[in-house]
Amino acid sequence: MIKIIKVAGSSLSPFFLPGDYVLVLCVPNRYKNLSPGDFVVFDHGEYGRLIKQVTRNYPAEGYLVTEGIHPDSLSRQKIGRVDYGNIVGRVFRRVSRKD
Amino acid sequence: MLYPIIRYLDRVFHFPQAKAHCDVPCGIYDPITAQINALTVVRMIDLMDALTTGEEKPLLEFHNAMTRYVAVKEEHAEKAKHEIRVIWGDFIKDAYLEAYPQLPGLVHKIMQLGSKCRQSADRDHGLALVESINDFAEIFWALKGVKTKKAKAPYAPGLEMVYPDL
Repeated sequence: MIKIIKVAGSSLSPFFLPGDYVLVLCVPNRYKNLSPGDFVVFDHGEYGRLIKQVTRNYPAEGYLVTEGIHPDSLSRQKIGRVDYGNIVGRVFRRVSRKD
Repeated sequence: MLYPIIRYLDRVFHFPQAKAHCDVPCGIYDPITAQINALTVVRMIDLMDALTTGEEKPLLEFHNAMTRYVAVKEEHAEKAKHEIRVIWGDFIKDAYLEAYPQLPGLVHKIMQLGSKCRQSADRDHGLALVESINDFAEIFWALKGVKTKKAKAPYAPGLEMVYPDL
C-alpha cells in the first residue's frame, strides 16, 4: 500500500523541506530490511507522526533507531526506539517543489 | 511536474502530515548572539596581542593566559558559525533568497571567516567576521520588517554593530 504524506518542519533539511511530499510504502513484513540512511514515517507517542532517518535496525528485536539530519533535530535519545508496529512506512520517493 | 499535481490533490484530499521538527520550534531567532561571538573573537585577538607586546610576565602565567585567550577565540568563532547556520537552516526561506540573492554567498563567507579566525590570530579576519555578520544581521532584520541602526558596542573592542531600532 502506498501513502502520500506532507512534510512539516526542517529537521531533515536539505533532503526534505517543509511542504515537500513523500510517497511511503507500507509493507510491514519488509521493515526488517530497512537500512541506515533510509527514511521512515512513524507514529511517536509524544511527538505524533514523524519522518526521520534510520540509523540502526534491530530486526531480531523488531525496532529501529532514527534521527534527524539538522543539528537542532530531536536527538535519537529523545525519539527512543521505534517499534515496527509504529512504522507507517518507508519513504521511496520525494516530491519537492524544487524538482 | 509531479509536485503541482500532488499539491492540487492535497488541497482536495488533505494528505496527512509527518513532522520533521526540531527540539525547539520556538520561532526565536536573533543574530545578536553571533555578533557578540564575533566581537569576542576580536577581543581575544587584542588580548593575545597585548600579552605578547606588553609587560613581560612569568612564563607559566603567560602560557596560562595565552591558552585561555586562544581557547575562547576558538569557541566563539565556532559559536558564531553555529548561530548563523541555525538561522540559515531554520529561518531563511526560498522566497528570502529571491529578495536577497547575496545571502548564500554571505553565509558561505561567514563560515570561511569563522574558520580563518580559528586558524590565525589576524585581527583583520576578526574584523571581517564582525562586518559580515553585521551585514547578515541587517538583512535578517529587513526580512522581519524591523529597522536597524548602527552603533558602537558599549564594550571593548567597541566596534560598530547593527542593532534592531525598536
